[in-house]
Amino acid sequence: MSGSAPVLDRLPGDRRYWFLALGVLLLAWPFLFGSFWARIGLGALMWIGLAQSWNMIGGYAGYLDFGHGAYFGIGGFAAGIAMVQFGYPFVVGFALAIVVAAVLAYLVAVPTLRLTGAYFAIATWALAESIKQAALILEITGGTFGLSLPRSPDTFIGIAVPFAISETFFYYVMLLLCAATMLVTYVLFERHEFGYRVKALRDDQDAAESLGIDTTRVKRQVYVLSCVVAAVFGSVYAWYIVFIHPNDILAPIVTDRMVIMALLGGLGTLTGPIFGGLLVFLLQRLSSVFLGSSTFYLPLIGTLIMITVLFAPSGIIGILRGEIGRDDVRKNLKELGEKFDLL
Amino acid sequence: MSDVTGGGSGADDAADSDDAAGADFDGAQRTGDVPTLSATDVEAGYDQHQVLHGITFESRDGVTCIFGPNGSGKSTFLKTMNGIVPVWDGTITYGDVDLTDEKPEDIVTHGIATLPQGGGIFASLSVEENLNVGAFTVDDADAIAERKAEVLEVFPALEDKLDQKARELSGGQQMMVSLGRAMMTGADTFLLDEPSAGLAPRLVDDAFGLIERLVDRGAQVILIEQNVRAALRLADYVYILAEGEVQFHGPPEDLSEEDELMELYLGL
Repeated sequence: MSGSAPVLDRLPGDRRYWFLALGVLLLAWPFLFGSFWARIGLGALMWIGLAQSWNMIGGYAGYLDFGHGAYFGIGGFAAGIAMVQFGYPFVVGFALAIVVAAVLAYLVAVPTLRLTGAYFAIATWALAESIKQAALILEITGGTFGLSLPRSPDTFIGIAVPFAISETFFYYVMLLLCAATMLVTYVLFERHEFGYRVKALRDDQDAAESLGIDTTRVKRQVYVLSCVVAAVFGSVYAWYIVFIHPNDILAPIVTDRMVIMALLGGLGTLTGPIFGGLLVFLLQRLSSVFLGSSTFYLPLIGTLIMITVLFAPSGIIGILRGEIGRDDVRKNLKELGEKFDLL
Repeated sequence: MSDVTGGGSGADDAADSDDAAGADFDGAQRTGDVPTLSATDVEAGYDQHQVLHGITFESRDGVTCIFGPNGSGKSTFLKTMNGIVPVWDGTITYGDVDLTDEKPEDIVTHGIATLPQGGGIFASLSVEENLNVGAFTVDDADAIAERKAEVLEVFPALEDKLDQKARELSGGQQMMVSLGRAMMTGADTFLLDEPSAGLAPRLVDDAFGLIERLVDRGAQVILIEQNVRAALRLADYVYILAEGEVQFHGPPEDLSEEDELMELYLGL
């Protein structure tokens, strides 16, 4: 452990003022910077929320879910199908997304959560892939044509809204969802007894059980919750983006991004996915603007992952908190050098 | 089974150790008799593979040791008693309570706590959080506070470490956390699966010293150990398991006469 003061504790003044300032900035964002930055902002908020949803099962519970993106797609298609095939307003699709994701997640949880490590990862990955293939051939999902959702500028909850549904509107929806996800994570995983049960089973499942924790039940609860959160974002995303396609919202890259964001930011931490999500999303979106290539961010992220895994396993948040200092990096380097006979 | 018919002498031994333990109990805060944990003709295994072929076992006051070579079924037997491995046949009782088909999370509420191999501490939680998790089955806030004070009284070294992450502690301190966390459940019977495993050799004696502190407070300990020599110093009664069956049981004094057994199964 390094002796230097953690960056987060070195902020001048009361922390509450920083939170207040951040809140004001987020609320005023679309008005301050216009619709292009509102779009960037809503994307960042969505990915932060998605990264957090993966962090619940992957970080806090330690179950590497490599099929999590499927629930994002399921949420999107649930909303899309409700709106396109049945003509319901978005709010019905939103509710349907929650119900379908919860039921499916529970059914999946019963057999797969008996598996651990790589086996769980492979099982969930295969599930996601099969859902994508199913969506490509089913009629109700639009098959290979995808689904075009009605641009519904004036019906929200089935009644007319007095404002145009725009980038700004979706920015605030994503802000609300992202804030709610953060709040749920904070209360459940950092404050409530539930979070300790989850962390206990991650650290040592046998010990947790012998102390009276029903680990099977807790694991299912975390998995269902994390999947529902992903589906909620998926449904709003479908409403916003208007056109959804299995190769898009059910693509493995959706899961990959969530995993990378949570990993880079710091697994099993509340704020890790915020930093990781922001960094990866901005690198990706602004890659063409600032790096001159729309794919250059990929090798960059690959390098970042290597650096994180090798030197800072607790992610960006670990560095900011001062858990990883110069001494640790030096120690890791030395160990690595010895391992590969470099030193 | 031969070891059941040997029950006559076993009962005598139990009576003896009752007397001996009586003296200890006077100094301890906890009073009252600890129920006997007993198994009758227990068979169990994994999938199709049977590991235990009819084990009959009875815990004694103080430390009951279970020895045996690798693969003898010691750990499996311990896990049938705490409910992690389901019992195929036979019964397990704790006092008057039938535990045979109980789930692990229910067994702990009857007063049996387990320390898994290596201590099973929650590395990412602080020491205090580890202790709190131990009390999740307890509703009474006063009882929790009382027990926490008791843990710190038995293991005063933890007092300064309460806010530290468990992974940052030394091996010996981690064992204190593990024992203390088990105490938080309010258990009076402790199942220990190789507590000395993974500890530096010079720490093994200290580790057994910690277990002794628990016993001095009136707890009943069932101990699986590879380190037979060190564990024998603590043992009040000994079982030797091999190939899923009980090969010997009796007080440790009797074991010294069983040269063949010692060499064959314990390598002493």
